[in-house]
Amino acid sequence: MSNPSNRRRRLCKASDLAPGERLIVDVEGRSIGVFNVAGQFFALHNRCPHVGGALCEGPLTGTTLPAQQRGEYVYGREGRILRCAWHGWEFEVETGRCLSDAKVRAKTFTVTVEAGDVILHL
Amino acid sequence: MIDCDVHNDWSSSNVLLPYIEPSFRDYLIRGELPGARGSFPHAHRPWLHPEDFRRHDIRPASDDEHYGLMRENLLDRYQPEVAILTGEEAIEVSTLANPHYASALARAYNEWMVDTWLPRDDRFVGSLVIAPQDPKGAAVEIRRLGAHPRIVQVLASHGSYRPYGDSFYDPIWEACAEMELPFAVHLGGQGGINYQPIGGGPSTYYWETHALLLQPGMSHVASVIANGIFERYPAMKFVVIECGVAWMPAILWRLDANWRALRKETPWVKRLPSEYARDHIRLSTQPIERPANKQQLWDVLAAMDGENVLMYASDYPHWDFDSPDQLPLPKDWLPKVMDANARQVYRKLPQATAASPALAA
Repeated sequence: MSNPSNRRRRLCKASDLAPGERLIVDVEGRSIGVFNVAGQFFALHNRCPHVGGALCEGPLTGTTLPAQQRGEYVYGREGRILRCAWHGWEFEVETGRCLSDAKVRAKTFTVTVEAGDVILHL
Repeated sequence: MIDCDVHNDWSSSNVLLPYIEPSFRDYLIRGELPGARGSFPHAHRPWLHPEDFRRHDIRPASDDEHYGLMRENLLDRYQPEVAILTGEEAIEVSTLANPHYASALARAYNEWMVDTWLPRDDRFVGSLVIAPQDPKGAAVEIRRLGAHPRIVQVLASHGSYRPYGDSFYDPIWEACAEMELPFAVHLGGQGGINYQPIGGGPSTYYWETHALLLQPGMSHVASVIANGIFERYPAMKFVVIECGVAWMPAILWRLDANWRALRKETPWVKRLPSEYARDHIRLSTQPIERPANKQQLWDVLAAMDGENVLMYASDYPHWDFDSPDQLPLPKDWLPKVMDANARQVYRKLPQATAASPALAA
């Protein structure tokens, strides 16, 4: 996650973005998705590192956890996996880490809540 | 030099009579056969080679004569240090509906091969032929003979009832892992219960079809990776024989792309398909693609680390034979492709000697 910087942008009131909801905003020519995940706020560049798809327009969902054997399905991480709207690559919404390739990350931004406002740090 | 695909043919399937168990001996003596007495019980493919798939003068009357021709045309001429015998019609047992008969024939072939072919030449090692439609019987056979010091792999036709990663075949993989043997598939078995020999329905001509017979190879590569065979058996090697090679990088690109998007469907698959392939799947070279511009082939093969995953095979004595001195590959790949890679896969082979090109590299 990038460090908080001086470039701040107030997006909305925290109470306007309920858990599980998202807001996609254009900031300085960039499309950025802001997510409320169980009361915590996260932001990612709305551009998938795969081939530039609209990452933040995809479903915020869970996924199958690594399994020991064929036929074993354990579902988890509900609401914490962002699947790109186009090709379905999976990313941890908190970190931007791609589940199928540890070398790939979606760009993330720091989000804070200050005096009830959601602040995006660029 | 190691030749990974040498066909030890028989003059007649009657050679199996001393080896097949009594319950099935009558089948060979009086039972229905697909041709004249002495033809081998199997369902034949619906494409017939207009000049026969063997070299025209390979029609010996005896097995000793087969060996004599093999010495003349292959062993003494090109002097491989090791020739891996892959049978001839034996893998066609995979086409039979009766799994018990199919396994009995495979057992008889294996006995005959060990008893008559291996002693003929110190350069020979054998493949244990199984009837894959009888996974439990195949597993028993793998455990029965798999420890033989000169049996280096388990072999089935690439034409199959289901793709080989399917859970139907679990007993075979388990037995291969236990006996520390690679599982290999060889072109063949396009008939009988292997009812989908080719995608899109039956093609028309022999040469047309033969060029497309890599298709089941693609299915098996995808299947063994998607079914997590190499997670389950981390030392396993899967060998694809006589399916050509240039298609493999393209299939791996496609598998990688799909797994990246849909890994959730197979959470037991934990790495990129191409990474499993690089570590666990080996392809024999023959019949190698021969584009007018060799560099185009080399670029494609380099994408799957061809220097480390390809193993030379001649396919003696078939019509699409590749001689070892005319392989269209980069010279600096040859020490591994001609020799060292096979020694890594087939751990029972002597490791590289001073005379082998592996050390000359």
